[in-house]
Amino acid sequence: MPAEPAAAESAARAGWHGSRAGLIWTLVRTDFKVRYHGTVGGFVWALLKPLAMFVMLMGVFSFLFASEPNYKLNLIIGLFLWDFFASGTVAGMGSLQSRGFLLTKARCPAWILIVCSISNALITYALFSVIILVFLVLIGHTPSLAAALLFLVYGVAMTMVIAGFSLAASVLFLRYRDLNQIWDMALQAGFFVAPIIYPIGILPERYHVYLYLWAPTPLIQFTRSVLVDGRIPTLTAHLYLTVAVALCLIVGTVIYRRLGPRAAEYL
Amino acid sequence: MNVIEVQGVSKAFRIPSVHRSTVREHVLGILEPRQFERLQVLDDVSFEVKRGEALGIMGRNGCGKSTLLKIICGVYEPDGGRVIRRAAITPILELGVGWHPELDAIDNICLLGSVMGLSLPEIRERMDKILAFAELERFANLKLKHYSSGMAARLGYAVAFEAVREVLVLDEVFAVGDAGFTARCEERYRQLRTAGHTTIVVSHQPSIISAFCDRAVLLDAGKIVSADRANAVAQQYLSLVGPEAGVSA
Repeated sequence: MPAEPAAAESAARAGWHGSRAGLIWTLVRTDFKVRYHGTVGGFVWALLKPLAMFVMLMGVFSFLFASEPNYKLNLIIGLFLWDFFASGTVAGMGSLQSRGFLLTKARCPAWILIVCSISNALITYALFSVIILVFLVLIGHTPSLAAALLFLVYGVAMTMVIAGFSLAASVLFLRYRDLNQIWDMALQAGFFVAPIIYPIGILPERYHVYLYLWAPTPLIQFTRSVLVDGRIPTLTAHLYLTVAVALCLIVGTVIYRRLGPRAAEYL
Repeated sequence: MNVIEVQGVSKAFRIPSVHRSTVREHVLGILEPRQFERLQVLDDVSFEVKRGEALGIMGRNGCGKSTLLKIICGVYEPDGGRVIRRAAITPILELGVGWHPELDAIDNICLLGSVMGLSLPEIRERMDKILAFAELERFANLKLKHYSSGMAARLGYAVAFEAVREVLVLDEVFAVGDAGFTARCEERYRQLRTAGHTTIVVSHQPSIISAFCDRAVLLDAGKIVSADRANAVAQQYLSLVGPEAGVSA
């Protein structure tokens, strides 16, 4: 029978719970510091990556898809959502490997390290969300309250997808040290599977179902739908999204719960 | 009252004939199945630690001392048995390695201190004391990648000694640093004992177990072969390792 926290030790854990908030804040703050050299300039620099990508892709593809209404707006929304997904999953996968030294020092739930690792991608995405909403208002494309709320919901859903992936990938990465290279390749392919630079309508409709199996696709499409087209996706579409997000979280949690307790042995 | 009860704890590791740590190695080796050797590190280990007691754990290299400490601290999961903890444990394990190299001492203290159960106000309040204990005040803003292993170890012990809540678990702590640092560690240890803290000390040095512990257990091949007064166990350890050990009680 594995050692599990008995009721008697709850008092012993009380002190740790008291410092949990401090640990989460320290993890987020130090991650920000390492990633952006502790400066706002470094953070702005990080925002330039998707912006530069946007300028480059827009320069090429806006001619190709000149007949597509709102192509540029759809492109930048797709790019920022993709950047959130890609940077969040990469950081999540490497979280235990890079911060695992804390697991070998004391009793510390690994999930905190995993979830905190995606905080910076989330901060960037939150900032982008504010910018895009302000931009839409400025160009007279003000989204309705329902659309703005759904945009928020899709952001939460994307965070849950990233968290589910990260829970599983972080513990698997400790056992399979080339998983990050495999994921890099998957992300390169996934960038083209998700309809980011092309409108999904250019593909025959019978293939759409396969594209929607790739988690970022429905989130990108639904976000564009509410923000750009002003259309709220159907209830069936939302049910599909709910099931897909729940599945990501459940599978991630199951793998984490199975392999996580032995994570320290692989560090 | 027992603050820690180790009840029939067992732990084994599967040692593969060929180490494979990548998907590529697993795929390429799919037609070459590996043999696994089972290494029983701990076998039905049971003992308890009373509140305010200092317990020593002795044994030869590879007898399972460090694995046992990690299970007691909750870092490793046992395969069998369980550990009942009725007090907060502050471990001092492998503190010389595994810092965040890109962060300075202050941020690393915040990270390690929070993992060890200190709140941020407590860490800030004790920051100067921690840096002074480690004699690293001048290097507080230096990234850890520029620290020597000795400096990093001193910093780790300084944080842990300040973070002690109830039970302190030490793995070969008095073997780190120069004579001055060792003396400070010993002094701090005595202060904690006087204040009534429970301690578990692992050491190869019978003199340390005799001097700093009330009681001790002797591990051999993953089993407890003796549990007695610290002096008696230290003597048994010397008999077990023989004259080649070069240590004295």
